[in-house]
Amino acid sequence: MKKRVFAMLMAVVMAFSLMACGNKADNGGSGGTADAAETIKLGVVGPLTGGYANYGLSVQHGAELAVKEINAAGGVNGKQLELSAQDSQGDPESAVAAYGKLMDWGMNVFLGGVLSGETASVVAAAKADDMFIMETTGSADKCIDGNDKAFRICFYDSYQGTAAANYLKDNALADEVGVLYQSDNDYSAGLYNAFVAECEKTGVTIKETQTFTAATATDFSTQVNALVNSGVKVVFIPIYAEEASTFLTQAKGKFAEDVYFFGGDGLDGILGKVSQDVTIADNVLMMTPFAADSTDPKVQAFVKAYEEAYGATPDQFAADAYDAVYTVKAAVEAAGGSTSGADLAAAMTSLTVEGVTGTMTWNADGNTNKAASAILYKNGVGTLFGQNAAENTDAAA
Amino acid sequence: MQLTQKKRRRGDLLTAAAVAMLLAVMAALLYTGSLTRQVTNMLIPTAVYIVMAVSLNLVVGLLGELSLGHAGFMSVGLFSGCLVAIALTNTALPLAVRLPVSMLAGGLTAAVFGLLVGLPTLRLRGDYLAIVTLACGEIIKNIITNLRVTGGALGLNTAAIYAGAKELLPYGAALVLLTVAVMLNLKRSKYGRAIMAIRDNRIAAESVGLNVTRYKLAVFVIAAFFAGCAGVLYGHSLANIKAAAFDYNMSIEILVIVVLGGMGSVPGSVVSAIVLTVLPEALREVADYRMLVYAVVLILVMQATNNPTMKRFFGSACKSLTPVRKERAAL
Amino acid sequence: MTNLIQTLISGLSLGSIYALIALGYTMVYGIAKMLNFAHGDVIMVGAYSGIVAVAQMGLSPWVTVIVSIAVCAVLGVVIEFCAYKPLRQAAPLSVLITAIGVSYLLQNAALLLFGSQQMAYPTLLKLPMLTVGGVQIDGITLLTLAVTAALMAALTLFIDRTKLGKAMRAVSEDKGAATLMGINVDRTITLTFAIGSALAAFASMFYGMTYVYIKPTTGAMPGIKAFTAAVFGGIGSIPGAMIGGILLGLIEQMSKTYISTLWADAIVFAVLVVVLVVKPTGLLGKPMQEKV
Repeated sequence: MKKRVFAMLMAVVMAFSLMACGNKADNGGSGGTADAAETIKLGVVGPLTGGYANYGLSVQHGAELAVKEINAAGGVNGKQLELSAQDSQGDPESAVAAYGKLMDWGMNVFLGGVLSGETASVVAAAKADDMFIMETTGSADKCIDGNDKAFRICFYDSYQGTAAANYLKDNALADEVGVLYQSDNDYSAGLYNAFVAECEKTGVTIKETQTFTAATATDFSTQVNALVNSGVKVVFIPIYAEEASTFLTQAKGKFAEDVYFFGGDGLDGILGKVSQDVTIADNVLMMTPFAADSTDPKVQAFVKAYEEAYGATPDQFAADAYDAVYTVKAAVEAAGGSTSGADLAAAMTSLTVEGVTGTMTWNADGNTNKAASAILYKNGVGTLFGQNAAENTDAAA
Repeated sequence: MQLTQKKRRRGDLLTAAAVAMLLAVMAALLYTGSLTRQVTNMLIPTAVYIVMAVSLNLVVGLLGELSLGHAGFMSVGLFSGCLVAIALTNTALPLAVRLPVSMLAGGLTAAVFGLLVGLPTLRLRGDYLAIVTLACGEIIKNIITNLRVTGGALGLNTAAIYAGAKELLPYGAALVLLTVAVMLNLKRSKYGRAIMAIRDNRIAAESVGLNVTRYKLAVFVIAAFFAGCAGVLYGHSLANIKAAAFDYNMSIEILVIVVLGGMGSVPGSVVSAIVLTVLPEALREVADYRMLVYAVVLILVMQATNNPTMKRFFGSACKSLTPVRKERAAL
Repeated sequence: MTNLIQTLISGLSLGSIYALIALGYTMVYGIAKMLNFAHGDVIMVGAYSGIVAVAQMGLSPWVTVIVSIAVCAVLGVVIEFCAYKPLRQAAPLSVLITAIGVSYLLQNAALLLFGSQQMAYPTLLKLPMLTVGGVQIDGITLLTLAVTAALMAALTLFIDRTKLGKAMRAVSEDKGAATLMGINVDRTITLTFAIGSALAAFASMFYGMTYVYIKPTTGAMPGIKAFTAAVFGGIGSIPGAMIGGILLGLIEQMSKTYISTLWADAIVFAVLVVVLVVKPTGLLGKPMQEKV
């Protein structure tokens, strides 16, 4: 008897959970046309808890800030923006469920996923709904491949890798380089592959290549030794700031004084990671479209507002999300107030948006063209270095 | 003895019928469009986790050995099966042929790995066996991550075979029913009894002439087969899969499902899998505390089912969660 | 040649940390006969306690050391009392699952308290980088090795010569007989956990000083690898833990250098599988007899 009671109890819990999963949406799930309601609903999926939470939270905060500012200035075509950020913990399966929840909520425009892995899956799910996607930070090439309604704010990986190789050549930094990349990370491997391909064309030799995985990102002594022994003057490190901080801490004092550590926008935030000793980040050369200490008044205003609201300096992820929301605003206005996937996609290719990550225009394949500059860090201060990158690069897919 | 057997048969039929009915209801709701998007997106993962939990229960509940590498079998099946499926998309075969074929391919590959993992565990028991299975799971993860053919570290691009819940549910339902049926039957058969005998007292079982090696290997192979099939289904519901996701953390998640449902209990695993897949979605607001709560609940459940004082405290609601090994007193 | 020496040194560095962690594992397993899956996470808690002590409470290095040891020892005793003690009579499977639950509890509590961003462990001791014959050795590595060896010697002396140590040996052989001899089994096991966790505190200090960055998930993988080392050396054997740890560190770094960084993990785990299949009791372990 008690067993049956228990079983019934479990069944009730199950039913309750199912019901608690949101009410059935009113719209039939197609396109997200702007209804007579007063708001435009924006949705984003990302890791808000768990080990990657800092990335998801950056995106959420950046987007929230933009929404707040736009709403205060009167909204988009008179309509207020509403943002909903759903947690995926970086897991693709969870992200797809989160996307489902957003659709039930009545989302009109989708800001995509945060990490490349989950983005690919949610974009596939969104394709079936003809939803317009303004991807913030998912940089792997495949994320928006084959989806004509998906556009992206951040650089895509092969673009950055190619640009990095060209930057090296244009600034005559070295003919021989070493590489350290994370083989199980989309961003890192994507940049690396493009970098290698472009280096072959520009005649730069890659003398030493070292790798690591998420699981082995604590001990870099082997990699450090190999790179030091190879005697290269530039080490290409297309990795994220956290892993870079560990590597640089272990590399300190082992490399020669004039060796550069050259990376992409993933290194953003490196100073914060080595706050206990900022000289660890010395000689780090970061190629990035967004620099929090830029003198551009637009960037300054953004950084100030973000710091006031969230008590931290915004990073690349926050800046991308901020620009994504403003771009959506521009696209909706250009499309005459419509939020249908087809209208917005059509409007994108003729847009120019001046965001905190640069002046952006878009190709039909969804990728953006914007410039990147390089910042050199010394004693905790970043200064512009060398010629602007990505201006001579072809926008090859 | 006859009476208890009859009672058990009836219990089994009830379980199978309940599962079938639940699947039918979900299918009806899905195809009439009465489900929310969120729930629709949860159907396939739930089915997958049910199969994973029920198959792990074979190792943990019936054989009484802790396998911490179950996610590794799922991953092997997923990658091999999905590679076959992607290759088959070039032919003109319909989904109804492609999916079962790739599931079979995935399941068989996983079964082979089940054998490979089972072999080193023959001489081991308890803690050592658990750690070896964990190590094997990690080795598998590492190998798949380094292979070019599975997409390497960046994962396999399954956009070509991506399908929504509406297309995949029939296959998911079929797999769930098959797994449940096989497990229930196995439990009641002489093979099941042999396996439970090995769990309860290995030396006595050996002395009666049971071939421990054969049964241990068979358990790993069967459990791995179903995990592999589930993996293939899972692969079809996502556009990009990385082997790194199938590490010991996922194995432990499935273990939690099995333990909370009651070791050796098939209906328990089914219910527990559904609850533990659905609950996180329902509790999105308190996601921060979710894992913490899970951990606490796990510890409490283990206390409740093993400690005499706690058992009295929680009363006989625990009866259904008590490890099956205690039931032998009833025989 | 320099490369080989460099690799050996980095292997020693890694191995010394594994050895220190393995000491705690082996101690608890040898006496309480249970695998404390949460050992790695106790180390993580120890590391955070060090960070909090210095960064937020501004304590001096020596006080921090004592605080870390105290925090870990207390944590170990509390875990034992709440989670493992009630399961003394239960199947080892249940205990292992509970240990996994405790491990997750610690990780997620730390995640809630400290967030997922890494924190830097304070430099308790500034040690110079020594250069011997053209190769650089970090002072920390030598200190870790020295401390591990010292602890190993101290532990062995404790177990062999003192009355409490004798009680521990008795409990590990036969709990029932030990009770009959008048030994308080509960207190002995509690003491075991306290010592094991104190060892974890030492491990946390040296891990923090060597690798600097601590996250809630920091303890998990080193915990598993150190367990591999303990098994490799023979679980239950204290010198075995040290040898197993150093050997494993050497194997891992040699694999990374001469085979590939991509396969290093698989090789380490393969070592575990091979050792357990070929010689389950490890290098220095005693063969266990099975009673019918």
